[in-house]
Amino acid sequence: MKLSCIIVEDIQIAADFLRKFCEKSDLVEVRGHFLNVTDALEFLDRERVDLLFLDVEMPGANGFDLLDRLTYSPMIILTTSKTEYAFNAFQYHVNDYLKKPFTYKRFLEAIGKLQQQTADVAQGQPPVATAPAETGFLFIKADDKLTKIRIDDILFLESMRDYVKFVTPSKSYVTYSTLKNMEEKLNGQTFLKVHRSYIVNLAKIDDIRGNTIYILGNQIPIGKGHKDGLESRLNIL
Amino acid sequence: MQKIRPPFVFDENLNSSFLEELFEGDTKYAEAVFEDFLKDLPVYWERVESAYHTRNLPNLGTSVHTCKTLFGYVGFTDLQEQCQQFENKCSVNSPEELRLDYILLIQRKEKAQHVIEKEYARLRIFNGESD
Repeated sequence: MKLSCIIVEDIQIAADFLRKFCEKSDLVEVRGHFLNVTDALEFLDRERVDLLFLDVEMPGANGFDLLDRLTYSPMIILTTSKTEYAFNAFQYHVNDYLKKPFTYKRFLEAIGKLQQQTADVAQGQPPVATAPAETGFLFIKADDKLTKIRIDDILFLESMRDYVKFVTPSKSYVTYSTLKNMEEKLNGQTFLKVHRSYIVNLAKIDDIRGNTIYILGNQIPIGKGHKDGLESRLNIL
Repeated sequence: MQKIRPPFVFDENLNSSFLEELFEGDTKYAEAVFEDFLKDLPVYWERVESAYHTRNLPNLGTSVHTCKTLFGYVGFTDLQEQCQQFENKCSVNSPEELRLDYILLIQRKEKAQHVIEKEYARLRIFNGESD
């Protein structure tokens, strides 16, 4: 199945190359090209795509600003001509990083890697068979065993690229999955995605200062696109 | 018997091995890209000049960054390096300190533009002959 994507790129030649590569590969369908972050976000508020080809340096807001405002987690390939962004790319859990200008061969490698990551995650779904809401607990595969975790004990979840870290007061567990998958599993509970890389248990929040949530000494950033959603779920008097 | 046409050979000032890999023998697409480059560069360069003359160094760095990317698509990998160094200096130097680098960058950009104009003309002839 083809991946749907958008291209966020202010240099037309670069965007044209990317579109050509997508069409040539027959693996990626381009749903739009946007010259700036504002226009891209407007589109992403209406429609979901599997993949974003995202330039970093653009007039106005940059690519990382877009990632801060995203309310869901598509796959991300950063396209930039600056290698200095590699560290930020790691922090934002981007799937790959293409240094412009790149060749068709390099493009195909990146898409192949995404397909592999998607297949690996699909095969390695954690065995959460029963809806956690019904049982009050879930099992995760960590340290070569299935570990039972009480839903009420979870403070927050953190995305670590193809892994998710569950943080409880006494211990952290890392399992092979995605935050998106966990978001679906915990749907309807007191959990809320507050950042591209974090889901928090609302019942465990100690306080919120500015754009940071504090839970038992842990600081969790609030993404710009998640702030309104969070406020609407809090019982603010 | 039909003659086998020799492939297009890019100018020695350009990174020809990279361009061959980038275009994969598609000289028509190369012609379109070179044409776009010649159309886009003056627009982007105007932003460089404006930022320099208004002493807006953050904008100067960003505008040179855009030109750097553009130079890459026509095989000026060495000029990309020069742009990168200039871009880095924009965050630490004053406009006065950048003056000499700026003049050198303009000279280099003008030479590059001239090379691409000639290359674009050669590509048009090459593609015209193959139609």
